[in-house]
This record gives sequence, C-alpha cells and structure tokens, in this order.
Amino acid sequence: MMRRVAPVLACIGLLLVWQLASLALKNDSFPTALEAIRAIPAILGDKDSLINFAASLRRMAIGFGVALVVSIPLGLLMGRSRTVASFFNPLLMVIYPVPKAALMPIIMLWLGIGDLAKTLVIFLGVSLPVIYHSFEGAKAVEEKMLWSGAAMGLSAAQRMIRIVLPAALPEILTGCRTGLVLALITMITSEMIARQSGAGNILFNALDMGQYDTVFAMIIIVGAMGISLDVLFERVRARLVRWSEPQFDIPLSFS
Amino acid sequence: MTVLPSRSEARLEPVTAQKPAAAMIEIDHVSHVFQTSARQDHLALSEISLSVADGAFVSILGPSGCGKSTLLYIVGGFVQPTQGMVKMKGKAIKGPGPDRGPVFQEFALFPWKTVLGNVMYGPRQQGAKYAAAEAQSRALLEMVGLKGFEGFYPKELSGGMKQRVALARTLAYHPEVLLMDEPFGALDAHTRTRLQNDLLNIWERDRKTVLFVTHSVEEAVFLSDKVVMMTGSPGRIRQIIDIDLPRPRRRTELLLDPRYQEYVVEIERMFDDSDENELRP
Repeated sequence: MMRRVAPVLACIGLLLVWQLASLALKNDSFPTALEAIRAIPAILGDKDSLINFAASLRRMAIGFGVALVVSIPLGLLMGRSRTVASFFNPLLMVIYPVPKAALMPIIMLWLGIGDLAKTLVIFLGVSLPVIYHSFEGAKAVEEKMLWSGAAMGLSAAQRMIRIVLPAALPEILTGCRTGLVLALITMITSEMIARQSGAGNILFNALDMGQYDTVFAMIIIVGAMGISLDVLFERVRARLVRWSEPQFDIPLSFS
Repeated sequence: MTVLPSRSEARLEPVTAQKPAAAMIEIDHVSHVFQTSARQDHLALSEISLSVADGAFVSILGPSGCGKSTLLYIVGGFVQPTQGMVKMKGKAIKGPGPDRGPVFQEFALFPWKTVLGNVMYGPRQQGAKYAAAEAQSRALLEMVGLKGFEGFYPKELSGGMKQRVALARTLAYHPEVLLMDEPFGALDAHTRTRLQNDLLNIWERDRKTVLFVTHSVEEAVFLSDKVVMMTGSPGRIRQIIDIDLPRPRRRTELLLDPRYQEYVVEIERMFDDSDENELRP
C-alpha cells in the first residue's frame, strides 16, 4: 500500500516546494506550480500544439525504431566477431563522447531543418547505448550454449538469431531503456535548435515570448511523457525477460 | 512412441557377450596447440590415437589441464585439431552435428526456455512435429526424474536438476554418441552419486556410445568399460585399462567388490608414479 502511495506523495511534495518557492521569490519568470498546471489544459486542448506533439512523437518513434533495427544486429555481430568489433569500435569511440546535439548544425546544413535532420539526431542518440549493451550482451553468451545449439544442427546464422539474441535480450533491453530516454532528450534538443515544429518548438517559442506558465507547463508535459514511456517500456521489458528476473533466483532443493 | 529400447531387451546382452563391435569413433594422431595470452604456443594434446567401440562407455581420466576436455571438444567438432583427424563411423568429423550430443559441466541450458522447451529444442530443430517432440520430451523428463518440473525455468532449478535437464535435452535428439565433459564436476558429492547411478541406469537401457571426461578415479571405474588414463603437459595417453566388472552395476555392491577396489588403487598408483616422474629433474 505504502509503496504505491509513496511516489504520489513525492510528486505532491515537489509541487508544494515549487509553489512555496515561487510565492516566496515573486519572480515573473518563475510561475507557481498552480499557474503552470492551470496552463496545461490550454496546451493539450489546442489543435496546433497537438499537431506539434504528434510530429515530435512520430520523429521519436521513427528514430528510435530505426536505431533498434540497425543497432541490435550490429551490436550482436560485434559481440560475436572480433573482426566486426575491431572495425566498428574506433568509429563508435569517436562518435560516443560527442553530444549528438552538437552535430545538429552540420546535419542541418546537409539535410535542412526538416524531419530528416531531427530524426537522424534521435537515431544517433539512441544507437550508441543500444549498440553498446547488445555488444556486451552478445559477448557474455556462454560458448557452451552455442556449442549445444550447433550440436542440434543450428547454423551460424540460426545460432545468432535463436541463441545469441534471446540470451542477450535482458542486456539489449537495458540498452533500449536508456535509448528511449535519450530519444526524448534528443527529440527536444533537436527541436530547440531547428525550430519548426514539435514539443520543443512550443516550449522555446513560449520562452521567447515570455509565457513562463506555458514554459513550465510544457516541462511538466514532456516530463510526464518521459515517465509514461519509461513505465510502458518497463512493463514490456519485464514481460519479455521474465525468465531472467531475480524472483526466480531461489533454486529448489532437490538434487 | 518408444523413447529408448526397453530395459529387458538390453539386459539380454551383457557387454562381455557382445560381438566385437565396430569402431564408432576413431581418433587418429590428434595434436592440439593453444596460443596462450603471452602469445606462446602451448601443446595441449600430443599425438592422441584412440578407438572407441560402438556401444562402449569410455572414460577419459586425467589431472586438470591435461587436455582431456579439449579432446572431447575435438570429437564434438567444436574445436579443430591442429594436427590429425577424428572419424566417426569412418567419416571425417568436420564440425558439430546431432550424431554427437554434448553434456557440459556448465549445463549450458537455454535460460529463456522452460525445462520442457529446452528438451524439445533439439527434436524441433531436427524437424519433429510439436506434439511428437512434446510427448517424447515429457517421457524423457520423467525418465530423468523431473516429472512435474516441465514449466520451470533453468534458473529455478538446483545444479543436479539442471544437469538432468541437460542430459534429457541431449538424449532428446538421439545422438549416437554422448560426449560428457565432467558432467557431475560442479555437483556436491551426494547429488553426484545419485546422478552417476541414474546415468548408469539410463545407459544400461540403450547402450549408447559414451565418451566421459572426468578427474575422479572412482567415477571412471564405476561407470566405464574402458578407462583412458591421460597425463598432462602435453596431454598424452598413458594407458588404457579395460574395466572388467559385471553389469548391471550397483554402486553398493561394487564398493564391496575387491576387483573394483583393485582397479581404483591400480589407477591411483599409476598416477602417483607419473607425478613422481614429472617432479624428478
């Protein structure tokens, strides 16, 4: 019971601190929590902003989806083949520490400020953690498990799909969860840099126009979006890798 | 569906009365070199030649690091020998295949599959219909004493149970040769004894060819028709000893049998001698 109530209490507490801090500071650029919350229905009821949200989510879904389709096979191949790993490792090591938003100017120069540029940035942001975790997961697959499969007659390609992939799945999904959060972050930053449409567009336009209640309301909305996506993903993840959950860790006593 | 030939059928033919069996596995001058982390060559196996008869239970016994597991992996086709070749029924082994079923010390079960799913994996891969594979797998699980655990995940099982699943999983695709790599090495003494007994019972029913790697002298004598003694660095065959003890073997009877005791003592003495020789400058 308490475990379910606790997060709600934490949220209320945070809003309360916000409300009090805002009342105490009396600053125009720091609206109270109530003012921000009151601005939410207006945003969600507006057709234009809903179109913006849809555009954001579409780019995020495409960027995230394409990243998974490319990164999981690549990471798995890298984990099982030293040749593939030594070819891609230097490339990834160069890309890894570069903030993906920093690449936006070049990408915009080449691809314009439209969907393609923003989706590409999301793709890059999601790819690296997914590749890394798929790589680690594939590398950790027990050799003897693959041998057992080979003895049953599985070809190298079948072993990859039917043994390496499921065995590495818990690790892959950990990467995907990080990737999902990064997709949201890169989505907003890309829209901040190339303002044309999207949730980030609404947020920063409001900032420019000094509509601070809208700014804060947007932060709440984007935050809620992130939390919902994460909760949803966690449900799917838990279902897919039920077999690896620690609740199954207690072995039965029977020889 | 018959999983294995019935017990009575197998009983009619004691090992000693069998006609001279054809060679199932022929290991021909196999040598294997490992590259160590220091980029030095390490000769793991040197000039191993061994013939394993059809239906024989042969143990490969030796100290750790003598290359006995490597030899088994070469027979399995998982490792390519640096020199020499292995033939199965006269044909050169080029890679792994369902005619040779491995059982590893590490179990190597598929953790995302249930117990039943693990056992069904091989037959399904070999093209068996779902219902047939399921019926056969359930029967096998009952045989290894795991009836009622079909829906469990490997993580939920103890070591002994996991090894029972691994054995059933391998038997399920009917390999002609079982390759057992210290299968009971990770188990406690009590569990180990129980699994040895069960393995013998199962083996005495269908008399598959078994290559069994172990470092336990008692285990090798108890189970085998032949014990291949290996010495380490580089791995060589020191001696091959025929274990002429009656079957079916019962552990409690065997422990009191002076011939069993003689075999164990004889083999241990030979290992002691070779140890001393190695220590001599």
